[in-house]
Amino acid sequence: MSMFDYDTRPVTPGVVLVGTPASRGGFAIRDFLSRNGYPFEWVDAGRPDAVRAVLGVAKVEPSALPLCILPDGSRLASATVEQVASGLGMVAAPSRPEYDLTIVGAGPAGLAAAVNAASEGLRTVVVEAVAPGGQAGTTSMIENYLGFPNGISGSELATRATVQARRFGAELLLARPLVDVSADGPGYVAKLSDGTLIRGRAVLFASGVEWRRLDVPGIDDLLGAGVYYGAGPSEALACTDSQVVVVGGGNSAGQAVARFSRYAKQVTLLVRGHDLGASMSQYLIDQLSAIPNVDVRVRTQVASLEADDRLRAVMVRSGDSTEPAPLPANALFICIGGTPRTDGAAGIGLATSPAGYLVTGSDAADPGGSWPLPREPLPLETNLPGVFAAGDVRCGSVKRCSAAIGEGSMAVALVHRRLAEVGGD
Amino acid sequence: MTEQQGVANPDAAVSPEFAELASDERIAKAAAALDRNGIRPLLAATGADARGLVDSLLTGGAEVYNNTSQTLEAIGVAGDIERSGRYQPLRLRLYRMDREMQRREMRTLAASPDYVVGSVHALTEGGSLLIASASGSQLGPLVSGAGRVILVIGAQKIVPDVATGMRRIYEYCYPLEDARARRAYGVPSGVNNILIINKAVTPGRITAIIVNEHLGF
Repeated sequence: MSMFDYDTRPVTPGVVLVGTPASRGGFAIRDFLSRNGYPFEWVDAGRPDAVRAVLGVAKVEPSALPLCILPDGSRLASATVEQVASGLGMVAAPSRPEYDLTIVGAGPAGLAAAVNAASEGLRTVVVEAVAPGGQAGTTSMIENYLGFPNGISGSELATRATVQARRFGAELLLARPLVDVSADGPGYVAKLSDGTLIRGRAVLFASGVEWRRLDVPGIDDLLGAGVYYGAGPSEALACTDSQVVVVGGGNSAGQAVARFSRYAKQVTLLVRGHDLGASMSQYLIDQLSAIPNVDVRVRTQVASLEADDRLRAVMVRSGDSTEPAPLPANALFICIGGTPRTDGAAGIGLATSPAGYLVTGSDAADPGGSWPLPREPLPLETNLPGVFAAGDVRCGSVKRCSAAIGEGSMAVALVHRRLAEVGGD
Repeated sequence: MTEQQGVANPDAAVSPEFAELASDERIAKAAAALDRNGIRPLLAATGADARGLVDSLLTGGAEVYNNTSQTLEAIGVAGDIERSGRYQPLRLRLYRMDREMQRREMRTLAASPDYVVGSVHALTEGGSLLIASASGSQLGPLVSGAGRVILVIGAQKIVPDVATGMRRIYEYCYPLEDARARRAYGVPSGVNNILIINKAVTPGRITAIIVNEHLGF
């Protein structure tokens, strides 16, 4: 037995990924593997010795990158997330012809609903495009979640919830986004990107939000090459001794700063507003103010980016000044709130707010004269009977992990009422 | 072999006496002694047999921690635990954690798994198990943290007594492990902690699978 253990060598890499640091596709696979907790070895294609060690040759054709070596030795050239997920056996078919509840999204709201629904005997399936945990899953430490006085990471919370949901019999179908929902009698059929169809007597949208895009020229070309949305776990170590810039004023931005400050030489938080108090929890504000290598700049925005093959500096405009000033940066993490993830929901006519969030309850009673039942929509029910929404994707929701979990749990009670209404509950 | 005792030469020749498989008689003697000491002995002819035994001992869905082990790697048990989907592999959860932010979570998670699966550095004919560790992190769960312990032991690790077992650790395991650690992690190893399990108080908590093959070191 080795004399070392987890504190030195955590795990045997199951996957080897060869690519360039600036590759967007490579970053997508790294992020996917990291968020799913799948160990991998990243090999920079620009280092001949490292490439030779894993491939036996010193160079890989650029067109073959990113190149993924799976645990069985098979190689995927120009690999995509979908191919890697499939190659790793992470793509499963639904086991049942019909479910009582189809949950879209495996973030805190979706997982809470899955645990409650499955534990109460509902045939439950969860579909998730990327990995369990949602936006909270990338949070390094949630310190104000009830029952965890020392805090808990988003990924660990998600892992525990996933185990719990599966233990009660819920199915999780990963790595394929929802592309469509259609009516099926009193229920609905959900279609995934690979064509998989899932019949459910009720549907819960717990699909959360995705990071809002920062409107800066040329930023899309630098995605994965120094510019990142959110603060994914795959990049923390890579920030060692770096200059890191985080944009955003919410808790996600604050938690990202706290994490990166452990690795980076300097972390600068750029906040558009006048102070952090409006959007960030006080405990995080207090934490950040006590970290010596953290600089918080309010009333500051990103004007442009300077880069060669990757990000080198962020040009920032502060206060009333019109002249941007350079801020050296090896990495820029953008955590500026979200836009609702309602992909696949548009075709069926779900009512949304002007900002795109799903409208529920009394607000959904008659947005377009489409509500068909004599009763009012239930509190988390959308304008379509039997389709519910919970968590960040819902209009009016409180954008906190604990609130999303509460809504996911509450939704299940309402699903029971709907199923009783259509019979068979 | 702590720092005060210097660093082993990775190229140092190791004594061949500790690489020889024990005879069937010595295996039987060690197994009988383990049984007397409250440690359940199982015999396996091959690594493949041992792999099957481990699988039969683990409960599906349980939290399983596999210690870093050449033995477990060689016979496929490490892969079964980490990648089969049959268990909750704690090593993967630790892998996901941020070493700076989540040190406490890592420590508590690794300390009390349902099962820990590992190996030893020496098994005496009197039924004692000797395990050395540089970091010490894997020793607590073996002693009491884990619900159950499964140890896979190549028959070359059987020694007459504890004194010889100590010599095996210092003269054989450590030089090989030090060389491996330098190659794998870029750091030296060290015999900083040694655990000797003479007897298990809870019957059945520890299972030792003795394999009639040269496995690990």
